[in-house]
Amino acid sequence: MPESFLLKYISEPDQADLETYLSRGGYAGLRRALSIAPEAVIDEVDKSGLRGRGGAGFPTGRKWRFIPKDPAITRYLVVNADEGEPGTFKDRTLMEGDPHQLIEGIIISSYAIGARHAFIYLRREFSTARDALTGAIAQARSAGYLGRNILRSGYDLEIVLATGAGAYMAGEETALLESLEGRRAMPRLKPPFYPAVKGLYMQPTAVNNVETLCHVTWIFAKGYQWYKAQGTPILISVSGHVARPGVYEVPLATTIRKVIELAGGVRGGRKFKACFPGGSSSAILPEAYLDTPMDYDALPKVDVPGTMLGSAALIVMDETACMVEIIGRTVEFYRDESCGKCTPCREGTVWLGQVFHRMLHGQGRTEDLDLLSGIAKGMTGTCFCPLGESVPPSLNASLRFFRHEYEHHIRTGRCDVREKYAA
Amino acid sequence: MSEQPTVTLTIDGKALSAHKGTTVYQAATRAGIEIPIFCYHDRMPPLGACRMCLVKVEKQPKLQTSCTLEAADGMVVYTDTPEVKAGQEAILEFLLINHPLDCPICDKGGECPLQDQTYKFGPGRSRFVEAKRDFAKPVSLGPALVLDRERCILCWRCVRFGEIIAGDDALKGFERGFSSEINTPFTLPVQSKFIGNTIAICPVGALTAKSYRFISRPWDNRPVQSTCTLCGVGCAVEFDVRGERITRTRAREHPAVNDIWLCDLGFFGHAFVDHTDRLRRPLMRREGGFVETTWDEALSQIASRLGRTSGPRVAMLGGARLTNEDAYVATRFFRAVVGTPHLDHRVDARPQSPDLAVSWGMGTAIADLALADCVVLIGCDITETYPVLWLRMKQATERGATIIAVTPKALEIQRFVRWQFLHRSGQGGAVMLALADAVRGTAPREAPQGIDRTALAAAAKALGSASRPVVMIGRTALDAPDGWQMLAASGEMCRKTGTELNVMRGKGNAFGATAAGLLPDVAPGGRALADAASELRQAWGSLTTEAGMTAPEILDAAVAGGLDVLFVIGADLANDVPDRERWRAARARLPFLVVQDAFLTETAQMADVVLPALVAAEKDGTVTSIEGRVQRVRAAVSGPGDARGDWAILAALAARLGKTIAYSGWEEIFNEMRGLIPGLGIDERLPVRHPPLGKPSEPERPASAAGGFPLILIPGEALFDRGVLTSRSPTIADLAGEPWAMLHPDDAGTIDAADGEPVVITSARGSVAVRARISPVVLPGHVFLPRGYDAAPVNTLIDVNEPVTFVQVRALAPAAPS
Repeated sequence: MPESFLLKYISEPDQADLETYLSRGGYAGLRRALSIAPEAVIDEVDKSGLRGRGGAGFPTGRKWRFIPKDPAITRYLVVNADEGEPGTFKDRTLMEGDPHQLIEGIIISSYAIGARHAFIYLRREFSTARDALTGAIAQARSAGYLGRNILRSGYDLEIVLATGAGAYMAGEETALLESLEGRRAMPRLKPPFYPAVKGLYMQPTAVNNVETLCHVTWIFAKGYQWYKAQGTPILISVSGHVARPGVYEVPLATTIRKVIELAGGVRGGRKFKACFPGGSSSAILPEAYLDTPMDYDALPKVDVPGTMLGSAALIVMDETACMVEIIGRTVEFYRDESCGKCTPCREGTVWLGQVFHRMLHGQGRTEDLDLLSGIAKGMTGTCFCPLGESVPPSLNASLRFFRHEYEHHIRTGRCDVREKYAA
Repeated sequence: MSEQPTVTLTIDGKALSAHKGTTVYQAATRAGIEIPIFCYHDRMPPLGACRMCLVKVEKQPKLQTSCTLEAADGMVVYTDTPEVKAGQEAILEFLLINHPLDCPICDKGGECPLQDQTYKFGPGRSRFVEAKRDFAKPVSLGPALVLDRERCILCWRCVRFGEIIAGDDALKGFERGFSSEINTPFTLPVQSKFIGNTIAICPVGALTAKSYRFISRPWDNRPVQSTCTLCGVGCAVEFDVRGERITRTRAREHPAVNDIWLCDLGFFGHAFVDHTDRLRRPLMRREGGFVETTWDEALSQIASRLGRTSGPRVAMLGGARLTNEDAYVATRFFRAVVGTPHLDHRVDARPQSPDLAVSWGMGTAIADLALADCVVLIGCDITETYPVLWLRMKQATERGATIIAVTPKALEIQRFVRWQFLHRSGQGGAVMLALADAVRGTAPREAPQGIDRTALAAAAKALGSASRPVVMIGRTALDAPDGWQMLAASGEMCRKTGTELNVMRGKGNAFGATAAGLLPDVAPGGRALADAASELRQAWGSLTTEAGMTAPEILDAAVAGGLDVLFVIGADLANDVPDRERWRAARARLPFLVVQDAFLTETAQMADVVLPALVAAEKDGTVTSIEGRVQRVRAAVSGPGDARGDWAILAALAARLGKTIAYSGWEEIFNEMRGLIPGLGIDERLPVRHPPLGKPSEPERPASAAGGFPLILIPGEALFDRGVLTSRSPTIADLAGEPWAMLHPDDAGTIDAADGEPVVITSARGSVAVRARISPVVLPGHVFLPRGYDAAPVNTLIDVNEPVTFVQVRALAPAAPS
């Protein structure tokens, strides 16, 4: 396994300090980027093969090419630092431990698209990250990496650090823009409001994830050939029933089994039961799928609809987990985080939550199994945005792989898993 | 106009062509294919929230919302496949799980899109066995609006109406997801002049009108198509009538006037029609009080009094509340039967002001306001006077139009006003001169103190480069101490920019009264009296074609003892005239006063004979709007007691006087009018005739404050007030609240007045008690006092011989120490 680099200095206590960052080669990539044309910067990102790490996995260079080149048009870069997908904590780790790595990536990327203002939309709860970023931005500014005429290149950039108000929905890029503009975080209609065309304040906007921009920093620090030679690294947040939860940097397409091994295996020698491979929005997978590579293309190809790499948050569940309880809890999360804009998400999640509540309190009915899949069907393909569409896949997968657990709850009004492991 | 590109698509096997840019929903609807829908409203851009309008599109894996999907060439769409049906049923089932299904007691039942679409597209059963959502209900959102939260399906139409159509952000969404609720910002009462529209577009019974709750079922209402006469915009309305009562007023679509909207005065301001205070029998003064009498006796008494005087010693005032036909017959009655030229509907005009020198009305078409690229509002508070016109201007601002306002009080729409020139009383003329200069390209002369010259230059530049400018002057400018100067500068500005001056003046059917000849110096149709004389003689017999006295001159004549009889028709002089003292003096010297009205107004209380008249909602005929548009009014109800239509009263009186005024109905009068008034026709526009305007003169110096009266009074308009009619329309009276005046915080501080606390405003003439509103929308040293509150009449403070009214304001109870 190649050496990790995104996380290389993350645990060094002084990495947030500009001097230290510089002594470890920081801002060299920026110097190089500013010495070539913006178009050449985009070319290099293209060649690196970098894909967005926010969840959708869209090629970053291609996204930037949608931004119009006309210098008369105001363009913005918006950094999606509203990391909210359950089980995901890689961006927070990057921002807290190595804020300059992100800031350097922001400057390079803003230069590439010709933005004079970049906005970091930071999740409000991340106060440590906020302090780290605030300090790093101030340092970078006074050292001439931000502000007017950066490194005498003639390029100007200001970074605005904004915080959200605690909505998972704001992680969706158009809802994020609404929130950044001061409104309710509700997704915009696409078309016409593709951020690259009509984004922040109706201006062309590139919305990029924190990790994505940190990759950009390394692509310019070491060159795209070097970067590609690393085997397309990706950060995976591993949580749940593993021995050593944490952020792991692995080459793309490492199997789920391998990642679990890296995290010390299932804790306490228990048996693996299921996992969310890409945050709670990806369908759960049982043991039979452990050898699936964690990669953008392989996961959606397995025969479990709705599974995906997503934000690369691997949530591991061992045999002590009651799947009815797990899915019920997941449904409640989406119910509480639904923005309320569209009917199926707003009403469907509530209804599902009520059925799960009943089932988990000994009031399940046989017809509830059909009802659950019926509600899920009504939500599939009908929701305005991916939030509501995220609920049916895991529910359906659980009904397929763990139907007996539901049936036991319904039949007995009790939880066999809980009773078995209660002691 | 260039040919719009079209696309060809297939919906349910039907090949259709549609303009590029239309949505699949629109294309289907135009082809008569029904797709159920809730959140989409055709006056607003698509939202895609309710997910009801799902369709299947070939080559698309998922169902698509047809309201957001642009029709494309070769697209093959299905609206009724099993997959689509399943999608629609799923959405309806979701919508209904928490909808109370209290249709039998819901005002919307019977005209409810959710109910209708559930019948047509719904699953017919529900799998929902859980407890439904429950809320404390209903929630009052102000004087007009009630919210039943559990009925709300969160379509966002009402919220978007406030954002997109009215620009008042009256309603917003609060909380998240399933807990989302519609409410007002800061949970204050709704701040809107258009909230009735949200009730109209609510697809369920979540938003209902306080005035209509549990009053009627839709199928018990008989709709009567008519025209609103409360302000002058002439919005098309439908009165819903149940038995002999108007249960509610709704907007009727009129593309050239109100589109599909109304203001809240229009929605809720017709309740006075069946108020118990309506006059039902004629009244006669006997031994100091009134007694009810018969028409026979009342008319005999008037006829006998008229028989003892000569024509020129009789005068008539009022008429803006009449129909065109009433006004025309009144003109005929006074000129041909009584033989007096002293008739004028402009009872609220200030003597010697340019009010009397200009023709009231708009040359610009209402619909064209939306196309304006620059709107100049000169002493014209558009939302307080002609609110629905603002909705057109709002559309213009969406297209990038610039609004410039020259007013002594910042407009409510100031968020959309690019340049607000807030001026001191008496300085508006100087601002206008500077602005007109700058438009002319000459360097602006010195701008008045407090007015930014750079802003003036920038505003002038925007105006100068506008290709479709609209200029409006309102009463506040015309009645200002420097009104002549404002008018002249406005005229000059219009000449420079090649546009016409819209005189935003006259309520109700003032335009129709003008057109019908209720003026001392012109014949019907605005023609010179001498020119029309022979035609009029042919139609009416002998008549006087002299020029008579204007409304202020009639009062002067009465004060001087020059009148024997005064008729007041559909006007409350005591409150309408600019100077109440003059009216009192006039009444004191008047031997005989006849008042023809629907209520015992303050003026009627001083009358010798009071004749009960019908109101517009009880009449058939026509009225004319501020843009000169002639529209039908239809009798929705028949009126109380023995009340009669105005023209019929005058015709009966003519008979007593031995003259014949005989018409079979309004149609016959209208046809006769068509012969005398060029261009008169239903839904046609009559032109505004502009007399030549004067040249700008140097600014007058404002009068200086008299001892003890340090503040300047700015009389103005409020849409919601408490006058004869509005105080008897409960919703409007509630919206208006108690009389109020606006003070600058500095002045409020000086006198220790707190917001909402009572203050007394005193001038050399009199005093009124009002509640203070404290806001920097007026400049220090000024007090804004709205007209229209009969309990605090502005005209008790005003002496029309003084150009400026100085007042003092005292806090009635000193503010509690904080």
